[in-house]
Amino acid sequence: MTEHTNKQFDAEMEGIRSGVLSMGGVVEQQLTRAIAALEKEDDAGLLDAVGADEAAINRLQVAIDQQCAQIIARRQPTAVDLRMILTVSKIVNDLERIGDEVKKIARKAAETWGNTRLAQVRIYDAAKALGTTMTMLRLALDAFARLDVVAAADVIDRDAAVDAAFASILRQLVSYMMEDPRTITPAIEIVFIAKSIERIGDHAKNIAEAVVQVVKGKDVRHATVDEIRAEIAQP
Amino acid sequence: MSPSVRESLVWPALVAVLTLVTLAAAGSGAALAVLAVGAVAIVAFHLWHLWRVAEWAAGPADARVPDGHGAWGPLLTLIHRRVRARNVYERELRSVIERFEAAASAMPDGVVVLDASDRIEIANPRAQTLLGLDAAHDRGQAIVNLVRQPGFLAYLEAGDFGDAALVPSGRDPGRMLALQLVPFAAGRKLLMARDVTEREAVARMRREFIANVSHELKTPLTVIAGFIETLQDLELDPAQRARFLALMREHAHNMQRLVADLLTLSALESEDHPLVDETFEVAPLLRAAAEDARALSRGTHAIDVEPGPAAMIRGGRDEIASAFGNLVSNAIRYTPPAGRVTLSWCIEPDGSGVFSVTDTGIGIAAEYLPRLTERFYRVDRSRSRATGGTGLGLAIVKHVALRHDGELAIESERGAGSTFSIRLPASRVVRVESAGETTAEPAASGHYQ
Repeated sequence: MTEHTNKQFDAEMEGIRSGVLSMGGVVEQQLTRAIAALEKEDDAGLLDAVGADEAAINRLQVAIDQQCAQIIARRQPTAVDLRMILTVSKIVNDLERIGDEVKKIARKAAETWGNTRLAQVRIYDAAKALGTTMTMLRLALDAFARLDVVAAADVIDRDAAVDAAFASILRQLVSYMMEDPRTITPAIEIVFIAKSIERIGDHAKNIAEAVVQVVKGKDVRHATVDEIRAEIAQP
Repeated sequence: MSPSVRESLVWPALVAVLTLVTLAAAGSGAALAVLAVGAVAIVAFHLWHLWRVAEWAAGPADARVPDGHGAWGPLLTLIHRRVRARNVYERELRSVIERFEAAASAMPDGVVVLDASDRIEIANPRAQTLLGLDAAHDRGQAIVNLVRQPGFLAYLEAGDFGDAALVPSGRDPGRMLALQLVPFAAGRKLLMARDVTEREAVARMRREFIANVSHELKTPLTVIAGFIETLQDLELDPAQRARFLALMREHAHNMQRLVADLLTLSALESEDHPLVDETFEVAPLLRAAAEDARALSRGTHAIDVEPGPAAMIRGGRDEIASAFGNLVSNAIRYTPPAGRVTLSWCIEPDGSGVFSVTDTGIGIAAEYLPRLTERFYRVDRSRSRATGGTGLGLAIVKHVALRHDGELAIESERGAGSTFSIRLPASRVVRVESAGETTAEPAASGHYQ
């Protein structure tokens, strides 16, 4: 292979990497807007913007997948490069799912606007949990940009906190519903929101695991946090 | 051996070598042997020097250039000089770089130097906190990989760096960053990052304020314009005319009040109007406020005054009087007829003075209290307008209190009434020991109560 094609190949690899990260940027922006939708009230503009973000995310997913397929077909990459391409296509999938969940959250949040006091109080908890998942996503994408496995392991650690927040929101909602059946309708909306947040945490964790995999060459999807840490500690 | 000694030996050595060569050519075996030994010695001498120079060249960068003899001496001296000159130059360069880095670190804004393909070269500490970069590890990383906000990516790709891009911070979406790119030598760019959260908030407040003022002025103006048209176009009987003129006058009055309040607020805020430093008595102000209250109430409310201990206040007399007036007029306007309004002045144990207006009016629900001093904030719009409020009264009171290092406290219960108090710190309150009441304004003391 000549130097010229090598350079072009490197540029193509760099292109899909940056593509994933800019797609991540759109998802982060969409998450910011969803948090605003949970905290504020009556802003139809926010809902439209979240929808537009989702459309942009879908377009990016298709474009990056296409780039990956082209590189595989034309260059037959091996070893590290192949691993990177497979990882990219996995991360793109997770990002697209996050986009879907965020859109659901924003739509449900809009349905609770102007609803009972209960909805307001619980939505505050949901906004906080969503903030946690947003931090997870940011750290996971940073870890991918830097190929930093230690940071990736931290993200995997944080998923437990999101799961705990989900469980706690659920418990509180159940006690509200038992006390006053009129709160059941808004409570169910919030259950959906909380479930979506929990899913976003899982996807962020998947991205972090993909980072470990691309750097270490080991599949850590079903490993415990301690096992992952041990894997990272190896040179 | 000094160089002169060495030079003095050159000629005899040369003669000796020539003699030996001649003898060897003549067939002397001994001379041949001496020549061979000499040749080996010369080769050994050069090899030793070569080895030492090679050792030096392979060694650490700051190792001393070795000394040498013979032809090696001047050569190594030359090399030594050159190395020294280079070291001096390098030190100068390093100090320039250090000064540049120190200057970049001291900048209040985040600064990132990007190379021709927008990769991070240098990031100062502020940029690292604002943008979440890590200068040690992120060298050579594409900036868009870490600053992922779509707004920034679009700005970078558009290539028009006239204005800064406004994007939410990635670490805390509540904060706004202004990111400005400045191209410089050889395709490099400087990325300046600044936290503009507060600036944006102020700009938004100003926009809202102007929108509010325009709206407040528009309503009475529309009414007046409508009446003028009616008066011009229709033949009206005197009674109707009088009624319309009275309504126009009332709306013109509202506008006047609003403009006056706006001017008061802007004077309070402007730095060209420092607080007047005078010392004046509280009692006359209290009396004047009570007079205002009676005039406004037209006998429909019971007005009580609890004058408290005689005291003087240090500050702006007119400002304090207008603050008292605003509180009193609020109390009258929000208290139904037959209610009671109490004006009181007291000095707390810690020396601070408190002026309070307590009413038995409609009260305010707790959730509205925090926003009450916002300009044009009204719990009940129609009621406020109907009673001639401008929506600026409490903003003025709060400003006056703050200018006097004091505070405005509001306690209220829905349906039970409210207490608005201006608390002035001890440093602004002067107790008058004797019966100060009579010394103040002898003429006014008579009709008081």
